[in-house]
Amino acid sequence: MGGGPALRALLDLRRDYPISVHGVGLSLGSADGLDPTHLERLVSLVERVEPALVSEHLSWSVSGGTYLNHLLPLPCTEETLTLVGDNVCRAQDRLGRRLLVENPSGYLRFRNSPIPEVEFLNLLASRTGCGLLCDVNNVYVTCRNLGGDPLAYLAAVDPRAVGEIHLAGHAVNDADGHEILIDDHGSRVAPAVWELYGHALRRLGRVPTLVEWDTELPALDVLIGEAATASAMLEGGAPGEADADAA
Amino acid sequence: MPTLRELQGQLRAALIDGDERGAVAAVHGDGLGPSARLAVYRHHISTSLTSALESIYPVVARLVDPRFFRYAATRYIRERPPTSPCLFEYGGTFPEFLAGFEPTRHLAYLPDVARLEWAMTAALHAPDTVPIDPGALNSASRVGLHPSLTLVSSPWPIDTIWQANQPEAADQAVDLEAGGVRLQVWRAGDEVLFRRLAAEAFAFRDRLAGAGSLEEAVEAALAADPDADLPGLIRGLLDEELLIALGSG
Repeated sequence: MGGGPALRALLDLRRDYPISVHGVGLSLGSADGLDPTHLERLVSLVERVEPALVSEHLSWSVSGGTYLNHLLPLPCTEETLTLVGDNVCRAQDRLGRRLLVENPSGYLRFRNSPIPEVEFLNLLASRTGCGLLCDVNNVYVTCRNLGGDPLAYLAAVDPRAVGEIHLAGHAVNDADGHEILIDDHGSRVAPAVWELYGHALRRLGRVPTLVEWDTELPALDVLIGEAATASAMLEGGAPGEADADAA
Repeated sequence: MPTLRELQGQLRAALIDGDERGAVAAVHGDGLGPSARLAVYRHHISTSLTSALESIYPVVARLVDPRFFRYAATRYIRERPPTSPCLFEYGGTFPEFLAGFEPTRHLAYLPDVARLEWAMTAALHAPDTVPIDPGALNSASRVGLHPSLTLVSSPWPIDTIWQANQPEAADQAVDLEAGGVRLQVWRAGDEVLFRRLAAEAFAFRDRLAGAGSLEEAVEAALAADPDADLPGLIRGLLDEELLIALGSG
């Protein structure tokens, strides 16, 4: 593990706030298996920070020793389920704690992907004991991009497995006249996603929620406002009113 | 039907090498076409890694023009994609890439400026350590240098080039014939610094940084300058809190 100001800032924050360690580099879906060096780095960070929650993504980013710096999509097949299950078990064994696995944002569908993503995640949770991180913005983005009903997706998530919710803003791009939503964490949470969050809370209960905003950072009061909207909804405020505030 | 490993190899070929033949067959077009859908992912990989390189090499980017820098970065990413999920480790071979990159070969100083910028990034992320207590120097069996420290030498005045290309710097001409430099780059507290060293101090620290013993470092210093102030060289390291104990006994 490195040092310097970034680590010091994290340890300072740790004194005053609970931390959620959210990994992007473990590559749980790599057919090559987990990178043992990176797993050990994550273990040493988790030992040092003692976060409340540790999470990763249903995705892959390493192939043949190359790291592709993206949360790349997986075909939802039995082969993938076995492989991701093995990797999740290995990570959980080494971390000595439960991992939450997040639904990624999707931009393509594989021809051979017979298991619906939400069902795949439920199966992964029941087979490995891992929890799920329900990214409500990703549910929305994926359903809009690839066809699918976000409400039906949320209705199918196993509520016992969900340990964390994520919210974020997305960009609406035009690709040759075709609308495509990009999960870029660079704007306010969209009204439709706040509405979906309300549905998620009614179904999943009061699940710890994190607002992701890590590009095009706004003024601090905008960030605090987004967090306050989420808190108000989490504490039982009317989603419809918070929705209007956020718009 | 490809196995998952084969499919991931095909996607890597599509997203890094630009060879989409395998991946296109595995992906639904869904109105947009498989290529355009793969392009969403390729675009993110390319722009995120390019911006990582821009943040490490702002002076190089300014020297060659930011648009050209992005072109060079794209070529570099394709030829030498990351091998580690830790992005702060990516880009260390960019100076070497630039040295062999035909369009910038006439800028002989560019790879050395890049080495200076890489040393500064490495210093920022280096592990924290405790400097040796001067009183414990005699009982330390081996000494080394602070992990943030890198020694960079160049036949070009790369420190002056760096300073002249800071955003707040006034326009000034840099005399490329001003001669070479021997620099140390390190982190003091949270601040990354560099400064020039005399030949004997550079030789002394360079040998220690290369895992040499104190005796070997002394030999190197004397080879650089037979009149080197040896106690002064050790005192200098202690004063700068750059000496660490690697073993005691």
